[in-house]
Amino acid sequence: MPPIAQYVFNGVVTGGILALPAVAFSLLWRLLRFPNFAVSTYLTVGAYVALMLNRGAHASIELAWLGALVVTGAVALAVDRIAFRPMRARRPFSLAIASIGVAFVLENVVRFVWGNDFRSYDVPVTRAASVAGLRVGRDQLLILGVAVVMMALAQTFLLRTRLGIAMRATADNPLLAAVKGVPTERVIAAATLGGGALAGGAGVFLGLDASVDPLMGAGLIISVFAAAILGGIGSAPGALAGALIVGIMEEVGTLVVPPTYKTAIGFTVILAVLLVRPTGLAGARA
Amino acid sequence: MTTMTRRELLKASGAAGLALSAPAIASAQAKEPIPIGTLCPLTGAGGSYGPDMQRSVIAVVERINKAGGIHGRAIQLFHEDDQTNAEAGVRAARKLIDVNKVVAIVSTWASAVTLAVKPLCVEAKVFLIGVSGADAVTQGEHKGYIARTQPNTNLQGRMYAKFAVSRKEWKRVAYLALQTPYARSFGDAFAGILKAAGVTITDDLIYEDKKPSYRSEVTRILATNPDLIMLEGYTPDSVVMAKDIYRAGYKGAILAPSFAINAKFIEGVGPEVAEGFWNMDRAPLFDSPAYKEFSAAVPRTDQSPYAPQAWDQMSIVALALAAGRGEVSGTVIKDQLRSVANPPGTVVYSYAEGAKLLGEGKKINYEGASGSCDFDAIGDILSAPFSVQQVRRGKSELVQIINP
Repeated sequence: MPPIAQYVFNGVVTGGILALPAVAFSLLWRLLRFPNFAVSTYLTVGAYVALMLNRGAHASIELAWLGALVVTGAVALAVDRIAFRPMRARRPFSLAIASIGVAFVLENVVRFVWGNDFRSYDVPVTRAASVAGLRVGRDQLLILGVAVVMMALAQTFLLRTRLGIAMRATADNPLLAAVKGVPTERVIAAATLGGGALAGGAGVFLGLDASVDPLMGAGLIISVFAAAILGGIGSAPGALAGALIVGIMEEVGTLVVPPTYKTAIGFTVILAVLLVRPTGLAGARA
Repeated sequence: MTTMTRRELLKASGAAGLALSAPAIASAQAKEPIPIGTLCPLTGAGGSYGPDMQRSVIAVVERINKAGGIHGRAIQLFHEDDQTNAEAGVRAARKLIDVNKVVAIVSTWASAVTLAVKPLCVEAKVFLIGVSGADAVTQGEHKGYIARTQPNTNLQGRMYAKFAVSRKEWKRVAYLALQTPYARSFGDAFAGILKAAGVTITDDLIYEDKKPSYRSEVTRILATNPDLIMLEGYTPDSVVMAKDIYRAGYKGAILAPSFAINAKFIEGVGPEVAEGFWNMDRAPLFDSPAYKEFSAAVPRTDQSPYAPQAWDQMSIVALALAAGRGEVSGTVIKDQLRSVANPPGTVVYSYAEGAKLLGEGKKINYEGASGSCDFDAIGDILSAPFSVQQVRRGKSELVQIINP
């Protein structure tokens, strides 16, 4: 039996990838007051944009990743303008349903343009190194590092910049913020752009780690949703913690129950946490 | 349109053949033709296999009709496209059964289609023979109207194990399978043979589809120190699994089905990760006289195992009708199937040989292009040859044939 630390590390990498869309999902939920299920499809969009740059235009994967950030952010913004903005005043439930519709449309656009097959980036797979008895993949370490830096940047942005503070103000009380002169639509646009970029970047990571296919994002939405709920809606550090817990529990859980029940493990943990702490880990603000 | 052209072509060539064999003319023209349907996937996921299967059936029928038909009656083929889709398959089968009054439907491909068409055929007493692998195809009450030339998953598991045992260096084998309806039955058959041969099964792990990574599954499997991993999955999950196995530093052997380790797989993981992957598939019986006749009659670009099976299916159906002493129905075919295809009897490699011996009142045992074509009580074949390939420098190369 390998050390449990190996399973924990595996879970941390999975959680690191999960954390980016979870943070985007959580913050957008708090700001716009509805769960935007299209976030999962932004992962797919990001992965395919990078594929196009990497395979089609022979750009390096780093450049392709940057391209995915920009394009996915722009796609998210366009979706917001076309689909969600005209519906701002509607009930959250209608908007949530609309976001599922958007997810389907985007997914089918991807299928139409790139086909149904799975694809891979032009990046060689490398053997993992052994560090203190742990198998640590270079790509995985890199993915984890970049994810952590992105999370730190997002948190700094929210806490230190004018726009970030305005965003939090709008999230807490949109009416009061608007009265105080916070440009609500500009704040929403910035958040959507940032959220789309985070998700798009994560999509490239997921494609690097596994493979790129039109359903890759849709397959992850449950875990993203779970991480956001677990962390407490609207909290970036909470979403990060939630993602890590979901990731680690799914991996470590395979020691106890058959791997076929991986998804169920995550849900059991969420259920348990919500029973004890209904507002999530970052509690009070949600 | 294409099926019409084919049918006309078929009729024309059949008539030309009849004109040459004088004694047969009077009876063959006087009697009604025998209607038989083909239900191959000409489009959809099976679209790369269906056309060759249909051509094989046509080639067999051309030969039979040229030689005077079955008891003087020519075979008339009706072709339908199942679109690799159960719903389209059912519609097409309804038309074949109700409008064309076929006595047999040959060469269905996808399990989903065969399973959907099965109850229609049983109810109408129409004989159905296909190349579908799912265990459910021959399970349940079908009164003998269903048979197939594709090995079921149990036979596949045993043949994979036979190969693994033959490689003496594999003493510790781990079974790693995607959750599918056949993962368990394949795994049990596979492990059973290996254990009997003294090989240790180090782990048995069934994994979930559509997971972003399989690191922990791989961690668990590798902790048991296998020198062979049997990876039973489809292409997309096998790609993710193969990458994670490679990253984890595994240097042993991996065996997998050829339908998963295809060109798409190699492109997906890159030639370095794919290098050395063993993969197996059902093979035709390359050195059989029936295979030689088949490959001369049906030139093809690939070596897929389905067209030789279609050739055999049509030959067996015709032989069963020939054994039926003039009566033509699905019931005759199912009643005579084992008497013409299974031992005992003189081994024959074609309809012509078999029909001649049947005419002399002798017992026959048809041995086909795809294998020995011997059926058990529920319509499964008892044995089939398998091919073993290995990925070398980015391409799967044929290494050996495992005969039953």
